[in-house]
Amino acid sequence: MTRSVWLPVIGAFIIFVLVWKAIVIVTGLPPYILPAPESVGQSFVEAWLDGTFWPHFRATMVEIAIGFVVGSVLAVIAGYGLARSDLFARLASPYLVAAQAVPILALAPLLVVWFGSGLLSKVVICSLIVFFPVAIATMVGIRSVDPRLIELGRSLRATKRQILTTLEIPAALPYIFGGLRVGVTLAVVGAVVAEWAGGNIGLAVLINLAKGSLFDIPLMFATLLTLALVGIALYLAVVVAERRLVGAR
Amino acid sequence: MTGSIRLENLSFGFTTRAGEELPVLDAIDLTIPGGGIVALIGPNGCGKSTLLRVIAGLLAPGTGTAQVDDSPIDGPDPRIGLVFQEPRLLPWRTAADNIAYPLDLAGWTEEPRATRVASLIDLVGLDAAVADSRPSELSGGTAQRVALARALALEPAVLLLDEPFSALDALSRERFDLELLRLWERAATTIVMVTHSIPEAILVADRVVVLSPRPGRVVADIAVDIPRPRTIADLDDPAAGHAAREIRAHLADPDVPGTDRASAAIEPVGTSTARPELVS
Repeated sequence: MTRSVWLPVIGAFIIFVLVWKAIVIVTGLPPYILPAPESVGQSFVEAWLDGTFWPHFRATMVEIAIGFVVGSVLAVIAGYGLARSDLFARLASPYLVAAQAVPILALAPLLVVWFGSGLLSKVVICSLIVFFPVAIATMVGIRSVDPRLIELGRSLRATKRQILTTLEIPAALPYIFGGLRVGVTLAVVGAVVAEWAGGNIGLAVLINLAKGSLFDIPLMFATLLTLALVGIALYLAVVVAERRLVGAR
Repeated sequence: MTGSIRLENLSFGFTTRAGEELPVLDAIDLTIPGGGIVALIGPNGCGKSTLLRVIAGLLAPGTGTAQVDDSPIDGPDPRIGLVFQEPRLLPWRTAADNIAYPLDLAGWTEEPRATRVASLIDLVGLDAAVADSRPSELSGGTAQRVALARALALEPAVLLLDEPFSALDALSRERFDLELLRLWERAATTIVMVTHSIPEAILVADRVVVLSPRPGRVVADIAVDIPRPRTIADLDDPAAGHAAREIRAHLADPDVPGTDRASAAIEPVGTSTARPELVS
């Protein structure tokens, strides 16, 4: 990308840091309430260099990646069913909506009891939180496929499978990616909630350690910063995949 | 010559949401020799497009039979190519990949596929430069050329056209009609074309079949005695005037309420997308 695209982004970040610093100076808040940006920055760099972050980062990324993929795949399948089968839509919709209406925060401790405090419960929680937006987006996308294109496919003797792969999925892809964009950021939330509900490794566990036994508030902020960057990076990865697969239409 | 079509006692009806039977086609008998060009004309909602879809194998007839070359049509058929009123291109495929879509569905390999696409682009008179363009970048006429090439991809013996040029302006439409005739000379297919336009029907067809308002019946089968190859000047031929008068007379059948010249023959183009027979 060109300089002119990045310049405002960098500018906005500098302003953000300057305002942060100004608040610290003006209010005189102690570092354990709001540490100065440079001490957070220093902590961020140190924690990456001395290996504090790495095992936690890796654990959280694995949870997010597996949870996001599993949740998305199941959601696309379910979304297709919701769009194409009235019976399935009638039977499944109340449960889907109810599952979505119950906050994942309330559900997470139960899921940890069921699935243990290892990777499995994290994946389940991540998948659950990713599921709903992707399923709904897929349903809307499949329902919006132009029936005239399906008729075209039929006139060319496309099999059901070919209609799915060459017409319905490509036509619904922009919608599905809309759901994936929401889903991937929620996957980060899901991993944090899951680690807090029961876990001994991961960035959210590190946040708890930093504000608790370690009492290292700059480290806590640096971990938050890492989580935010993970969310941005994953979101951008989905956007890049979308550009590749959906492209210009 | 292959591509002969025979319809015998063909009827078709839809069941409405309320559960009532809605007859659309009533005892259609029609024989088209291989390589012939027939235009289907009739008032709005008379079942012209439905008839085309029955021949295309997209709709199964209620009673009667439809045959191509003496073998029945029991579903979408590789011997038949279909062009719709709209181009219906897949927006995520380039023009060339849209043309190749039937080949991809049929599992063609890369090399014959490329050769075939190149010859189709040439056949329908497409500019090779648009091959890599997306449908959204194409004009209506160019998009319809792509759709025509796609319909011809598997070398069908029968080409069905559902008001294919009705979205084009009058001048482009005449040009496309004449190009269709040149293409017909090269591709040697039987052509059945649904149209709202009497001049278009006369310019293109050997015979113009007039359907009644719903339920559609064949009310007239009018031969157009103009020698080929035809030009636009042939529309001034006395034979054309004679055929037009005859078609108009049958379209304005006084026995049938609601049909007169104003509503049936000189119907505005492009208002027919909401025809009830297309809603299923």
